[in-house]
Amino acid sequence: MSTIAATVPRGRTRRRVRVDGWRWAGRIFLVFMLLYTALPMIWMLITSIKSGFAAMQFPPQWWPEEPTLASYQKLLDPQNSVGQDFLRFFWNSLFVSTVTTILSVIVAVPAAYAFSRFRFPGRNFLFFAVLLRNMFPAVIFLVPLFILMRAIGLVNTHGSLILTYLTFGLPLAIWLLKGFYDNIPVQLEQAARIDGATRFQAFILIVMPLSTPGIIATAIYSFIGAWNEYIYAYTFLSKNEQLTLPVGIQRFFSENTTDFPGLMAASFMMSVPVVVLFLVLQRYFVRALTEGAVKH
Amino acid sequence: MTIVTGKAETGRRLQPGRSGVLRNVWQHRADYAYVLPAIAVMLVVIAYPIYYTIELSFFKTPPGLQLRDKTFIGFDNYTAILTSPVFWKVTWNTLIWTIGSTFFSFVLGFGAALALHRDFVGRGVLRAILIIPWVISAVAASYIWKWIYHSDFGIIGAVLVGLGLADQPPNFIDNVSTVLPSLIVVNIWREFPFAMIMMMAGLQTVPEQLLRAAEVDGANAWQRFWHVTFPHLRNVSTVTILLLAVANFNSFIIPWIMTGGGPSNASHIWITHIYELAFGRQRWGVASAYSVLLFLMLMVLGYFYVRALAGNERKEGGA
Repeated sequence: MSTIAATVPRGRTRRRVRVDGWRWAGRIFLVFMLLYTALPMIWMLITSIKSGFAAMQFPPQWWPEEPTLASYQKLLDPQNSVGQDFLRFFWNSLFVSTVTTILSVIVAVPAAYAFSRFRFPGRNFLFFAVLLRNMFPAVIFLVPLFILMRAIGLVNTHGSLILTYLTFGLPLAIWLLKGFYDNIPVQLEQAARIDGATRFQAFILIVMPLSTPGIIATAIYSFIGAWNEYIYAYTFLSKNEQLTLPVGIQRFFSENTTDFPGLMAASFMMSVPVVVLFLVLQRYFVRALTEGAVKH
Repeated sequence: MTIVTGKAETGRRLQPGRSGVLRNVWQHRADYAYVLPAIAVMLVVIAYPIYYTIELSFFKTPPGLQLRDKTFIGFDNYTAILTSPVFWKVTWNTLIWTIGSTFFSFVLGFGAALALHRDFVGRGVLRAILIIPWVISAVAASYIWKWIYHSDFGIIGAVLVGLGLADQPPNFIDNVSTVLPSLIVVNIWREFPFAMIMMMAGLQTVPEQLLRAAEVDGANAWQRFWHVTFPHLRNVSTVTILLLAVANFNSFIIPWIMTGGGPSNASHIWITHIYELAFGRQRWGVASAYSVLLFLMLMVLGYFYVRALAGNERKEGGA
């Protein structure tokens, strides 16, 4: 590279030559990452449109000779038992995730606001206590929580999941939102309060709208977390009609160990809602991180 | 403006030095209402389980959850764990898993963030595709990769055979020596987008003028990165690495679904091992003692975690 640079006399062009080296390294790296990321997903899609027989061949059919949507039809058909189960799991996941998301926002917003604005005694302690929650794995809490849920009669209900999902989503939600509120000037609220608004009104009318990206990011995070959660659902629920998708799919696979097209189709359909949701709203997520958590 | 509300604010801030703690707490009683729901949920679902786990770790427990029949045995559960060879095997696995996953996720994520920082056609689409693995369920990811690694019909084996690099498809996840690296590859696939998002957000906070000034002063791309960009990212890097390390240390789904810890404990990490002890073999007391040990180790990690976040906090306060 230095020899090329030496042959070009003027500074401006020389700089561009050097930058191009890095740019090419970046491009090659991105191509590598794209392959690493996308190939498994593409293989999932290709497998899902094969017949069970076509999937079990060596060497594999790189592209199915007879593409078929049979797996999808089976999973989405309310007439047969597989379809019934799958649709019910889907609905259960949707219900649990939606309720968790709504409750997370309701609980996290005021807490984050208080941690950002008020200087009450014990504020730092409580804030870090909340954050520390993130550090502890679900397994530590499983046995006692299971006993607790049994004591308050929540085992085998979606309530047990919603309650636990709330707590593992909250720490990051509060942290994210707090960073957001820190960057909203206090003067805006003060101005509103001079105009006669109460602290609460100022919060609802001024701060809430300004923190919408943060709230959307929090909501996405909670929804995705709840949608994908496995270990609590696996432990707390035993009745078939209450299972959420991750556990339901695992059960499906343990009964049909060789139906890889069906499994891939189910994995794909389980991923669609969260991927679409995230892609539509990702700019809020990145913005919330930039303006909230990361900025200093 | 400052006269009306400023008085109330400064009054609040000055209070702690002057009066008793209780009075201080009482004056801020309204503030607690905001955090109360969060704290209440946390107490029920966290404080109680922690207490219960510690208690259970000193008891010998009968199988099943008939915990009334437990008997106190002091530290026996702990000595049993620390003298068992499985403990050291699993600890070693956990170290490899956590460090390997965290290091590569961070490096790949940071690299992708840097490469995506410059504007080019299709950048948004590419960024979106790279994020997808982080969003999809770990259960789905585990099954996708289990199929890719399949010993008879897996695509990687077929490619290796097709290129003449192997005589027959290698068995990635039923082999003691390849199982852990194979699972780490899956974990990195799922984790690097998180590092990428964090570092992309961090890169946006690097002041453009500084970079341009460095360029005018003749700094080359590497010097600009090392002396301008990187120092600005030190804080976000620390937080990202710690979050990754904690998440990896605590991972469960990928090893559990893909191998269940096998073959012969080669892919058991702490969390899957504890889960199996508790729910597989119903040894609640031993599992609780394991959890307490885990807890202590996490406290060490937590010290750095809080310090990194508190560093963030202090800077915010100063700004």
